[in-house]
Amino acid sequence: MIKAIIWLHFLRLWRYRYSFLNMVLSNAMWVLLLILGVLLFVPRSQLPYALKSAYWTIACWSVISSFSSLVGGWTNFFISLGMVEEHILRGISPFLVISGRLLTASLVSAITIAFMGALIQSLFSIPLFEVEPGIALFSLIIVSAESLLYGLLISAISMRSTISENFLEILNFAVIGILIVPISVIPEQLRILYLSIPYVAPAYILKAASGSEPPGFLGIGVMISVIETVAFLLIAFLAVRAAESHIRRNGTRAIGFY
Amino acid sequence: MSLASLFKSGIFLDLYFVKNNRANLIAFLLWPYLMLILILGAGFLFGSTQSFRSNVGEDVDPIVFFVSSTLIASASLSVMWDVGGAVLFHRWAGTLPYVLLAPYRTSVILVMAYIPRYILWSFIQLAEFLPPLILRKGIYALIIDLPILSVSLIVGMLPLLGFSAIFASILLVTKEESNILSWLNPIILILSGAFYPSYLFPLWARIISQALPTTHTFELARLTALISAPGVREVILIIGILLGMSFLYNALSYTMIGKAEEKALGSGSI
Repeated sequence: MIKAIIWLHFLRLWRYRYSFLNMVLSNAMWVLLLILGVLLFVPRSQLPYALKSAYWTIACWSVISSFSSLVGGWTNFFISLGMVEEHILRGISPFLVISGRLLTASLVSAITIAFMGALIQSLFSIPLFEVEPGIALFSLIIVSAESLLYGLLISAISMRSTISENFLEILNFAVIGILIVPISVIPEQLRILYLSIPYVAPAYILKAASGSEPPGFLGIGVMISVIETVAFLLIAFLAVRAAESHIRRNGTRAIGFY
Repeated sequence: MSLASLFKSGIFLDLYFVKNNRANLIAFLLWPYLMLILILGAGFLFGSTQSFRSNVGEDVDPIVFFVSSTLIASASLSVMWDVGGAVLFHRWAGTLPYVLLAPYRTSVILVMAYIPRYILWSFIQLAEFLPPLILRKGIYALIIDLPILSVSLIVGMLPLLGFSAIFASILLVTKEESNILSWLNPIILILSGAFYPSYLFPLWARIISQALPTTHTFELARLTALISAPGVREVILIIGILLGMSFLYNALSYTMIGKAEEKALGSGSI
């Protein structure tokens, strides 16, 4: 069954290859547009630090945004095709099929981050990929897991109630505003609280791995990230179970996103 | 059906869209501010007003600079999506054959039905941005900024309508289904110097940017960001360039979209 789900998502990825390229290109271009605006404020001497910090924050946000829209948003399509009932009748959890979007979201995020980095690096001649690979990978895995679970959570909610895609986009955008704040500007006594906001700890770890944040809170950041991921897992699991039980008793109403 | 009916249907289309999509309306009002807050917030976190002035090379107020840039960016995106992307949206919805077979030419329908939307929304956004402008410049925001920004929105729209209709004609002929405008639009904004002045770009990018109508609209709107009042001569010169471009792009788009329609109707593959 897992093999079939993986095959399905790879097949769709190939069928919609131009959409896939569009997503990568458009994400990178929007990011470049915003980064250019921010860089106008930065003195030349501070450019390497600011660029690294902004780039890795946006890389992190790009994962969050891709996962929540490609996993959560795909639910709309899945519900409207009547696929939820079809899968339940065959004893397959529809959420397992939706989780397969992990493949699409991971590929879109990875290629966007690489393309965006190469583009900005060539424009400003500042090395962006000089990072601690192990720490950066850990952070990206955590942020992907949290985003996938968040995507599943909103999928589960959208099976029972409407979810405004506009508000999800606004929420996604608000996340970048929180992530971009350097930990050094947060008062010392509030730093752990700041790291406890969802996604902030893995984003901090990623920035620390790139050298754009002091590594003083790495240990605490790792701990908070793991606890948060487990909490996301529990919440998503409960929401998915409740949605499945609700669908079995009441059927699916084609609500989803609008 | 008269042209006035097309115009009227454009007005009602939008009013009912807003009535039935309140979330969309709130999102529409919030987005420009979110973009502005992100750029200004991150900018002030990593840098300062002094560095901004030194990088731009002019004595400008960064807040007014980005308010006018964000306003024009939103308005330009709206034209490019709603006129350039209309062929895509109709194709996705399956309504493209009806638009092509309607008594009016597609270009006329796209433009006439779109103008009310543009005027309504761009001026709502201008009103939305007035408070920060008044906070920064006081009464001068109403005497200088408001007229210049209004003129930028209206005169800037004229060449952009034709420019976007050229994209519509290309999309009509190529039968492209994927959303290529999603990455083409930000590239156009980047090259137009939306948030980073085009005169700071390398030569090749500056040449392209001069051919884009949006570049001159941004320049016109950003005259308001100058600490000293902008010169009338400068304003008139940019308006002249935009009017010249309007003639060029609209004539070109009228011919191109006509040929594209003929081809689409002739081949039957719409």
